[in-house]
Amino acid sequence: MMVKHRHLLDFTGWTADELLALFDTTDVMAQVLQRTIKKVPALQGFTVSTLFFESSTRTRLSFERAARAQSADVISFAAGGSSLAKGESLKDTLRTIDAMQVDLYVVRHAAAGVPYQLARWTDAAIVNAGDGRRAHPTQALLDAYTFRTSFPGFDGFAGKKLAIIGDILHSRVARSNLELWTRLGATVALCGPATLLPRELEQPRLSLHHRLEPTLEGAQAVMALRLQQERMTSGLLPSLAEYRARYQLTEAVMALAHPNAIVMHPGPMNRDVEISSSLADSPRSVIERQVANGVPVRMAVLYTLLVGKK
Amino acid sequence: MSRTIITNARLIGEQSLADLYLKDSLIEGVNLGGEVSHTFDAAGKLVTPAFIDLHTHLREPGQEVKEDLASGLAAAAAGGYGTVVSMANTDPVIDDPGLVTDLLAKAERLGLARLRPAAALSRGLKGAQLTDFAALQAAGAVMLTDDGIPVADGHLLRRACEYAAELGLVIQTHSEEPSLRQDGVMNEGTVSQRLGLPGNPVQAEAVMVYRDCELALMTGARVHIAHVSSRRGLQLIEWFKAQGAPVTAEVTPHHLTLTDETLGAFDPIYKVAPPLRTAEDVAYLRGALARAVVDSIGTDHAPHTRAEKDLDLLQAPSGIANLEVAFPLLYTKLVLDGVLTLTDLLHYFQSGPAKVMGWPAPSLAPGAPADLTVIDLESARPVTPSAFQSKAKFSPWDGWQLQGWPVATFVRGRRVGS
Repeated sequence: MMVKHRHLLDFTGWTADELLALFDTTDVMAQVLQRTIKKVPALQGFTVSTLFFESSTRTRLSFERAARAQSADVISFAAGGSSLAKGESLKDTLRTIDAMQVDLYVVRHAAAGVPYQLARWTDAAIVNAGDGRRAHPTQALLDAYTFRTSFPGFDGFAGKKLAIIGDILHSRVARSNLELWTRLGATVALCGPATLLPRELEQPRLSLHHRLEPTLEGAQAVMALRLQQERMTSGLLPSLAEYRARYQLTEAVMALAHPNAIVMHPGPMNRDVEISSSLADSPRSVIERQVANGVPVRMAVLYTLLVGKK
Repeated sequence: MSRTIITNARLIGEQSLADLYLKDSLIEGVNLGGEVSHTFDAAGKLVTPAFIDLHTHLREPGQEVKEDLASGLAAAAAGGYGTVVSMANTDPVIDDPGLVTDLLAKAERLGLARLRPAAALSRGLKGAQLTDFAALQAAGAVMLTDDGIPVADGHLLRRACEYAAELGLVIQTHSEEPSLRQDGVMNEGTVSQRLGLPGNPVQAEAVMVYRDCELALMTGARVHIAHVSSRRGLQLIEWFKAQGAPVTAEVTPHHLTLTDETLGAFDPIYKVAPPLRTAEDVAYLRGALARAVVDSIGTDHAPHTRAEKDLDLLQAPSGIANLEVAFPLLYTKLVLDGVLTLTDLLHYFQSGPAKVMGWPAPSLAPGAPADLTVIDLESARPVTPSAFQSKAKFSPWDGWQLQGWPVATFVRGRRVGS
């Protein structure tokens, strides 16, 4: 299926059919990665640049693997020790790399909206690899793809329920998953203390909760978010102990969810803070498969934006 | 002696067109006849006293890359302003009488719009020690303000109010409580949560407006609350005014015409402090103008370079340049849309700000200063930032089709600017 989009900044304008087509492409890419020779020439001659203004080795490596597995050339830019530290502007940095004939940028930045700004200044495609608190669309795609492949004979997202627990306020993963899963027809339950759960997010197919019971009830996918230690010093939470007592995902509280529910985490995990170590290592946990699925999902995104639209 | 005639002038309250005579720097009268040295044909356009802006960032000294006296005062004249009060958050900060003297001398040489400098309320805008109010006043400062930075220390502002009241100086406050504003870059609400941008809640403004009004009531100082952006803020001011607090309120062109939805474009040209609020706030601000709860429209003209506005939304500086669009923008959006009469809108650009400062009401009566602007109320044309006199050649209103453009501005009896 042809996709009309030039960029993947968030899911604005993406239809459910386009998103499901991405998953079908991901299936193909996953098969490629099972072969002895884990490489196809699909993106030969294309140049992909990772532009990471905020460090994230895991996400950057996943994208670079996805590009190289399709034979694209990769230019890797990381802010640390670069010209940015010397005061170069976002725009000048982009123009410098643009001069090297880049076809697609993978952008990570601490400020929401930077991928949008860059998209105004280049003809290349842009994939958002996380901007501030706002969006991290490939993470949401790999989460949904992991869910879709966790159940033999998966019959679609309609009627399914995703529960996300933790620091919703600061989470681009929560925002992107909310956007994606509701677009696919699922419902989403977000849960956290009032200080970390913005009530302004309210929208159709979404419920907001401060307690685990209604959040987990009937959920087939349950995700814990990383809790940053600095939330305590900034007055958002009284103590780690209180957070654990109210919101930690454990095997015991998972009894409230759907019997077959899977447990996800976008990483990196604080074991025994937002999720108990034993639950993270239990058969319900698909956390390692999320990481593994990151590569074929990102292969599908790169392929679709560079080739699939033509 | 120089004598100028402005022919075919449409004057507020007059049925027929008039010929207005200017003698040297003063208004001489209408339909007088006699020899003149200069003629300007107003061709039926509105001729009205030049505007007063109590809130202009001219950036000189030290930030001339953003704006300077020449570009800023030319932008003012192009916008119909004859007088602007410049803010003190320059580099160095205007906290020393010598700097006030220098600014006035330079502006005088330029011969554009009149400059009436504000001085800093605290040394270096550090919010710790008061500036020499009396000496600054003697040098020509007309207002005290740390604008750009809220005065966090309530005790310091209390003492500033007491001292300023004794001298009859106006204090202008940037009323936002820093501990509630935190690192917010836009209005906190549905839009900020959707966009994932740190929010600055209305309560940061409301709490500080409350404190500042309370101190005005306590001390009797004339406190002008700058750029009120929210319904909550204005409601408090209305409540305090009813109790006799000597407070006045300013609203800006951007808070009257733009909402937080604009940030959805992720363009820092919409980043301003206090932030653009909701459509409900915009409607309330407009209603407050109609009910005369507001005292003046001030521009908070705050130019930055395009490069600064191309930073990300967390890093980019706050501020919108608007001297050259303020009047046509509000004439189109408020008068033509039926929110305000032309006379009421003019009040907020003329006698409103004059009253805040205790200055004579601008007029075209014989003997008044010949500061006036000629406005074309009929022709519509788009906002074209590339043609701005200001160094900030970009605008949130780029391309908006507006009416009510000033076509000529006279200061001290002489046409200024282009």
